[in-house]
Amino acid sequence: MLRVRSHGRGGQGIKTASQIMGTAAFLSGYQSQDFPLYGAERRGAPIVAFTRVSQKTILERGPISLPDLLLIGDETLLEDPQAAPICGSDEQTVLFINSEKDPQILKGSFNLPSLPVTCGLTKLCLQYLNDGMVRSTALGAAGARLTGRISLEDLLESVEIELDVMGIAGQPLQSNLDLVREVFGALNPVTIKEREESALSPSKLMVLEQKEVQDAAPIITATRNMVQRKTGNWRIHRPEIDYEDCNNCMICYARCPEGVIEMDPEGKPVIDYDHCKGCMICAQECPKHSIKTLWEMDYELEPQ
Amino acid sequence: MNSNLNKKRMLTGNKAAAWGARLAGIEYVPAFPITPQTEIVETLSQWFADGTLQGKFTNMDSEHSMFMAAGAAAATGVRVFTASSSQGILHGLESIYTVAGWRVPFVMVNVSRALATPITLEPDHNDVMATRDCGLIQLHAETCQEVLDFVLMGYKIAEHPLVSIPVLVNLDGFVLSFSREPVMIPDEKAALEFLPPFKPVQPVFRASQPMARASAVFGGGTYTYFRIQQDLAARQAETVFNETAREFAERFGRTYEPVERFHVDDAEVVFVMSNSFATKGKSAVLKLRKQGIKAGLLKLSMFRPFPGEAIANALAGCQKVAVIDQNLAPGMGGIIYPEIVTAMYDKKDRPKKILSVVGGLGGKDIKEDDFLSIVERLNDSESKRPLYLFDEGDWSQFQQLQKIALV
Repeated sequence: MLRVRSHGRGGQGIKTASQIMGTAAFLSGYQSQDFPLYGAERRGAPIVAFTRVSQKTILERGPISLPDLLLIGDETLLEDPQAAPICGSDEQTVLFINSEKDPQILKGSFNLPSLPVTCGLTKLCLQYLNDGMVRSTALGAAGARLTGRISLEDLLESVEIELDVMGIAGQPLQSNLDLVREVFGALNPVTIKEREESALSPSKLMVLEQKEVQDAAPIITATRNMVQRKTGNWRIHRPEIDYEDCNNCMICYARCPEGVIEMDPEGKPVIDYDHCKGCMICAQECPKHSIKTLWEMDYELEPQ
Repeated sequence: MNSNLNKKRMLTGNKAAAWGARLAGIEYVPAFPITPQTEIVETLSQWFADGTLQGKFTNMDSEHSMFMAAGAAAATGVRVFTASSSQGILHGLESIYTVAGWRVPFVMVNVSRALATPITLEPDHNDVMATRDCGLIQLHAETCQEVLDFVLMGYKIAEHPLVSIPVLVNLDGFVLSFSREPVMIPDEKAALEFLPPFKPVQPVFRASQPMARASAVFGGGTYTYFRIQQDLAARQAETVFNETAREFAERFGRTYEPVERFHVDDAEVVFVMSNSFATKGKSAVLKLRKQGIKAGLLKLSMFRPFPGEAIANALAGCQKVAVIDQNLAPGMGGIIYPEIVTAMYDKKDRPKKILSVVGGLGGKDIKEDDFLSIVERLNDSESKRPLYLFDEGDWSQFQQLQKIALV
């Protein structure tokens, strides 16, 4: 059994990547299973998806806590304690990170259990699809290639099947297939050892005592505790106010759905970047176009 | 085209449900969205819109109206499908009791999701257990394949002249509803041969032919008559299920029984489970056997009618049984547990010990290690309480959240 866990953000096509791998493995004659995990989050929020590939019937369901292959589609997640993408991986886990950075530096900076395989998928996506946001085909192709179990032919067919479901055909499909060929050629299969089955050991079950109702019922007495949930790194795009041009009309302040634009004592709007999710409604609403849309990532490319 | 694709396709549990309904040639779908069910009605609405399905898809104002519309349409003699989950099925509960009493056949899918409060999106079985006594036939699916097959078989059972009762097919939210695995989609022609168009044997509503289906009765005797009839028909559904499963196996090669025995025959310890977590149980059984513990698993594929005799036969001679309920009736414990005990009570070779285990609530995983803990408890405990699968990790997670929640 090969267990693949893919991390990324809502909108990046992480679920689709897991499905491309699932279908490709299935076409290559394996049993496969794929499963995304998300709740009420939206674009930019950390997302995780799983793919299991096996020659035998798969007797597992739900999340993968100990992955054999870990695919990180967005390297900014490495710094997110809530996403904790490395969690559960060990020295046997093969790490893949969509990054331009030196693998040694990544390993040192993020205390990775092994030297990661890297490839700058975002740049390739920009090159082939003119979109650095959607990484489904690139990440799916990278994962499929690294397993060494899936042929290019089956992978291409899988991408056609999965993109067809989304109504992607014609030139956009061809561009995706070219991207797959490029990623497939850029990476080499890695050796993924089959994990030895560990013997079962009893769980540390607890006997709960009855508590008083204030501790027993779901009651929240703390106010303003939402600020503890930092959502700033959900941003793909970053709004930046041009204060030379801004006339403090307060429209951005009124329109921000997250309430993260405040008016400072001088009457200027100030964006709380710890919590701004980058929806860019402020930039859309600003009547003077004084709010610029920048990429959060290192790329010095203005979005189309 | 790859040869694997001709036979099977990667489908989520939700898509498998939609495919089951499509192959059944459904003619009417009243719908209302709810996570994690929405993908089913979304898929069907697409198929009605593009002409794949012929008939009517209606977005309703609530699940209460939705189930009433499903029953009313079934009473006109068309083939009806609908689906819901969790708070939605609870909101429709009054209508479900009502239309089940009308004795009209249709199929509904419930995608299990735990109930408020606290609210969540993740699965457990309290929602489907709330419909336990409504007078539905209930089939619980472990795999995406079973979802499709049970929907198709469900129509055959529901529409059988000796049954005429709505069938509910249950699948777990997230773990099955959003999981894709290879599913064999039966050929349309073969599906039609197995399940020909619906021909009601009872009077149905027709224009200019007045009739009523929901009379008021007083005094109790007449009421009791109709209720006992409902019970007799529901019990009959087990035989009809077996007949249907035989025909299904002949046509499609997949065999189903009201209960599935997994290494039960020589087992000293048997776990009783249902739905998708039974897969995890099967894996644990194989691992326990490697560790020298003769374990087995009994999966309930049919929950209503309750296949008591089949369960008793399967568990006869087994020393220890653990009933794993992914639901909780506060003040009582697991809901399936007493039903299993009842099935065994008058059997001479009944198990020495039947333990109630409550776990997998609100999306909480049941870990393979938990099964070893269950075996240990079966060996030594005399506790009258259920064994709750709650561990130190859950406790520390709760404590962290409580710190944020309280002043």
